[in-house]
Amino acid sequence: MLTCHQVAEGATEYMEGAAPPMRRLGVWAHLRVCRNCREYLRQLSRTIGLARRALVPPPAPEVEDGLAAIFAAQGRPGAAE
Amino acid sequence: MRRNRGGIGVAPQGSYQAGAEEAATLARLRAGDQAAFRTLVRERHGRLLRLAGAFCRNRASAEEVVQETWLAVITGLHGFSGEAPLAAWINGILVNKAKTRAVRDGRMVNFSDLARDEGEGDAFEPERFLPDGHWAEQHRPWDALTPEREAGDRQLLAGVGEALEKLPPAQRAVVLLRDVEGLESPAICKALGISEANLRVLLHRARVKLRDAADRMVRG
Repeated sequence: MLTCHQVAEGATEYMEGAAPPMRRLGVWAHLRVCRNCREYLRQLSRTIGLARRALVPPPAPEVEDGLAAIFAAQGRPGAAE
Repeated sequence: MRRNRGGIGVAPQGSYQAGAEEAATLARLRAGDQAAFRTLVRERHGRLLRLAGAFCRNRASAEEVVQETWLAVITGLHGFSGEAPLAAWINGILVNKAKTRAVRDGRMVNFSDLARDEGEGDAFEPERFLPDGHWAEQHRPWDALTPEREAGDRQLLAGVGEALEKLPPAQRAVVLLRDVEGLESPAICKALGISEANLRVLLHRARVKLRDAADRMVRG
């Protein structure tokens, strides 16, 4: 039986589907009986969702305006493709 | 637990077909629609800057790489065939620009070396486990993290963004490319010049740190 430490160390390999078959089975069997590890892996999984939604600062107005001006110039007749 | 998020990657995905919304956005951009372009800039600029920051050694370089990326996007829109999602196409341009730029400046971040340095030892502090290998801590469920909070708690999501920024460079790069931008592992390994094993070690360390930061914030 794998220990919690082994399951925790191999959590990403397991979640990414990259664990060898016997290891995968071992993690699966451990998770069947270990609520603490199940909760930890659930939290790791939810963390990915949080990371995907993590906020980033919006562009400065002058940066947005500058890019919009380049975009407008590119769209004018005669602008290089 | 296995996640399958097909269709997103730097390399064109054979079976990808743009949805109605993306196709409409592309059509508006190609028609020179200013509002559509500004929306794209607002959605992508900060993320591009954050991604460039993982490749470049300073903020000024990252900003220049992002600027070059936008210029390439503007000039390349009409040639873009929509064989990959728009965001993945833009990310691919950025990664290529960042690598070219870093090599030219002699400031290429060597991810293989970083992977070795950042991947040494255990992902967990020894005190987190008992001598018999059981957790020394109980993971209480994140009941406070409701779906509404997960999607719209600006303080929490800004905090996660700050935690991302604090990760060591190679860990930051892989978690941004894999978990935030959704690239497939082979594309990331190719972009960073690291092995799949390196990738998983770095990704794991990043996720462990982010989960710990999120745990503190969720419990407030």
